[in-house]
Amino acid sequence: MTHQPTTPQFKANSRAAIADGGLQEQMTKALGNSMAKRAYASGALPEFDQLRDAARDLKNHTLAHLDLYLEAYESKVQADGGQVHWAETAEDAREIILNICRSVDATSVNKGKSMISEEIGLNDFLEEKGIAPVETDLGEYIIQLRKETPSHIIGPAIHVTVPQVREAFRTHHPHLPIDRDLEGLDKLLLEARAELRAKYFEAEVGITGANMLIAETGQSVIVTNEGNGDLSQSLPKVHIVIASIEKVVPTLEDASTVLRVLGRSATGQEMSVYTTFSAGPRREEDPDGPEEYHVVLLDNGRSAMVGTEFQEMLRCIRCGACMNHCPVYRSVGGHAYGWVYPGPMGAVLTPSLIGLKQGGQLPNASTFCGRCEEVCPMRIPLPKMMRHWREREFERQLTPAGTRRGLRFWASAAARPGVYRAGARLAAWGLRLLSSGGRVKRLPLAGAWTDVRDFPAPEGGTFMDRYRPDADGKRGAKR
Amino acid sequence: MSGRVRILSRLRRSLSEEAGVTDEERREAVAARLRLAGAQTAPVPEIARTEGAAMLERFEAKLRGVDATVTRLGAMADLPGAMVEELRARNLPRAIRMGEEPDFAGLDWAELDATRGVGRLEEPATLSRGLCGVAETGTVALRSGPDNPVTLTFLGETHFMVLKASDVVPGLEEMWARVRRAGPMSRTVNLVTGPSRSADIGQVLQLGAHGPVAVHVFIVED
Amino acid sequence: MTPETQAPETQAAEQARPPKIAFMATCLVDLMRPSVGFAAVKLLEDAGCDVRVPQGQTCCGQPAWNSGDRANAKRLARRTIEAFEDYDAVVLPSGSCAATIIKDYPEMFSAGDRWRARAEKLAAKTFEITAFLADVLPDAKVAAEAPAGVGKVTYHDSCSGLRSLGIKDQPRALLGRVKGVEVSEMVESEVCCGFGGTFCVKYPEISERMVADKARNAEESGAELLLAGDLGCLMNMAGRLTREGRPVKARHVVEVLAGMTDGPAIGEGSK
Repeated sequence: MTHQPTTPQFKANSRAAIADGGLQEQMTKALGNSMAKRAYASGALPEFDQLRDAARDLKNHTLAHLDLYLEAYESKVQADGGQVHWAETAEDAREIILNICRSVDATSVNKGKSMISEEIGLNDFLEEKGIAPVETDLGEYIIQLRKETPSHIIGPAIHVTVPQVREAFRTHHPHLPIDRDLEGLDKLLLEARAELRAKYFEAEVGITGANMLIAETGQSVIVTNEGNGDLSQSLPKVHIVIASIEKVVPTLEDASTVLRVLGRSATGQEMSVYTTFSAGPRREEDPDGPEEYHVVLLDNGRSAMVGTEFQEMLRCIRCGACMNHCPVYRSVGGHAYGWVYPGPMGAVLTPSLIGLKQGGQLPNASTFCGRCEEVCPMRIPLPKMMRHWREREFERQLTPAGTRRGLRFWASAAARPGVYRAGARLAAWGLRLLSSGGRVKRLPLAGAWTDVRDFPAPEGGTFMDRYRPDADGKRGAKR
Repeated sequence: MSGRVRILSRLRRSLSEEAGVTDEERREAVAARLRLAGAQTAPVPEIARTEGAAMLERFEAKLRGVDATVTRLGAMADLPGAMVEELRARNLPRAIRMGEEPDFAGLDWAELDATRGVGRLEEPATLSRGLCGVAETGTVALRSGPDNPVTLTFLGETHFMVLKASDVVPGLEEMWARVRRAGPMSRTVNLVTGPSRSADIGQVLQLGAHGPVAVHVFIVED
Repeated sequence: MTPETQAPETQAAEQARPPKIAFMATCLVDLMRPSVGFAAVKLLEDAGCDVRVPQGQTCCGQPAWNSGDRANAKRLARRTIEAFEDYDAVVLPSGSCAATIIKDYPEMFSAGDRWRARAEKLAAKTFEITAFLADVLPDAKVAAEAPAGVGKVTYHDSCSGLRSLGIKDQPRALLGRVKGVEVSEMVESEVCCGFGGTFCVKYPEISERMVADKARNAEESGAELLLAGDLGCLMNMAGRLTREGRPVKARHVVEVLAGMTDGPAIGEGSK
């Protein structure tokens, strides 16, 4: 959905999320599960870290030759009778998809889960044009009913509680008996399954994303657990794959390496339930499959990341491990990030895609704790890249003036040990003056600290004053 | 200038001119890498290198681990009888939907309503012939086509798959080798690892989200 | 004179001399808790080091680096390099300041910059104190017995030390040598406390959410004392513990290792 980014309001968004007790409980539980599963699965594979290195290397190689692999991929798709469309912008991609839909007079499209679809705001656009998009991934279906955006890249409805699902089904399935039993989770699942089953046969067009594109074979790959993506792409007359340009890998063996780290990192599975490699439209002898196969390759700012300090972000395979392990994401949930991609990967990617002015909050909202990098299967140095964004902000004077002044003042003091010592002495003395019982309860100009915690008072005297090192650094005589 | 040209030339500028590598060198590197197709250059985990009886055992154990069920058959001819048993045990109608798989064509399906064709809206039970089974993960690889319509894999509420014991391979590497050997790439290659599932409601894993609620694999002795 | 500039025979002759270790107090220890510095110096001296505290030290520059102010970060890095490069090793009572020198300094200077080599040299001989005591000085002496009032402790793994420098076992191994100290692990000891330098004042609500979890986990571990190796994290956690009135006290790990716990815990008034 093309919601205007609310990323600039990240602070307000996160305050609201932290005040939402239901969300807090939901996030803590869901992410706890995800972390435990990943820890088990990665720990059970002795070669896991070696595979991460190999996955990183193969993707680095691919990115260094991205133009050539895209050309190789394109020619393979065409050889199989598929069509490749290049979309420089989100708008280009939407138009391309609309034209394909109109060419077969589509009134509805089935959709497998795709973050690129979210990125280009496809659903709202299609609806405006009179084409009904039907999300078929269970999580996406739930949030489509609730008119929400995904709050997690692999668990889009991770923020939705069971009573909220029940309510959504009662409201949006009015043709079913109002007093039906929806108590058990299985009842909810069966109802969604039955509702969507018929829709698979109705749509003229099926749209899926792609976890990978294989240059060697021209195949698009989807990795799912529900089977909805396969039904969405097998039954309609037209299959459209929307994928961003960095999704290509050289060979099927390379795909195996990525798969070996993907499932374990995402859901703790050695292999997701369905991994499907698709090439072109149905062949003459095929009894099923789409008659047309289109691939829309989306750039939308990615080619501009190549050759910059953000190129490594293009290794991302969208497993979600970084957000599952992020204490900030756990505290505020995905919607607070205000656009399509939340968590650490979103904090790096969002400013690239919507600009630093709009997305600049996100790379700042990190303690640099490093857990994201620690678990990233592609070894993307996420904190380092967030810091690069802070540097760009600083260079472009987007860093708040107060912060800049403060840094300048502090740094010039710290560059002069004599001045610095005098300042430290004064600060230690002043803080002690404000304290009682070993702590400062309210610190002027530092309410952000003392609103939520005490400020421990300095012990008294600075270390350098008390140690009194001589010119050789030896301890001075005690006073 | 088309989007294609602009995207590719932007990439070329960053990756070639600004990186100080000639296009010639880069083309050679890509050709060399693509020539490696069929050979794994990354580490192959130990679990993808089992052999013989241990490999078969691992395959079965992994299938069960992903909530599939397994039975072994002495010969392909035993399949219809075993199918009748399985359907009865699952309270399913005595009907099975399958493709034109030659291995199934010569069998005696008289006790069942065995129909051939693509998947339909209601499919209580479907049958596919797997190309190979992967011991590493309990995965069954299927090639789509008239023998195995891809829709049967996803529309059957219970999906039965048949493999010969000799179709079981240690890992993904050998699986791709078999896929490559099987002839031109089929429109889809489907890797199936257990029945469909989702944890999107309440973060509790449930089987049978959109695809099969149950997956059963028959392993036939050669 | 750096060891590399010495003639081989002098080097051999000086093998026996105690290593000349520069101690960098870090700005927070200097300002807030000098006793951490004295405890660290004691541990180093007990291990036979010739400890020096270079006068030129101020701050490593991490706040500038993490705020995107590369110019000022480099300026302070150059100062720090000049002040510390002539010693056998540099030791800090902070994983995050040590990580700044070890991981970030080399990255601040481009490959052609003459400061790059100097930064790399310094990085190679810089250590966080528990890592230095446990890994480099295996005979390091710690307090033989737990100081009065110290028994059950829990340890918070500060992020930079843990993930940039791999410090996890060292403080626990050292604490294990102190008779009467029992480490009772809290849940999520590896999860960030919410300090994050300027993060805690830029995003106070998120920081509060994180530190509240930490305070609860610390108390639920059953420990009376929360230890860590970074004063920033400790100030944050101690401040929350006292604000919530939880009974857990907070100290830097070296205070216990050196047996120097006479003074009040962090954020506590004098007895």
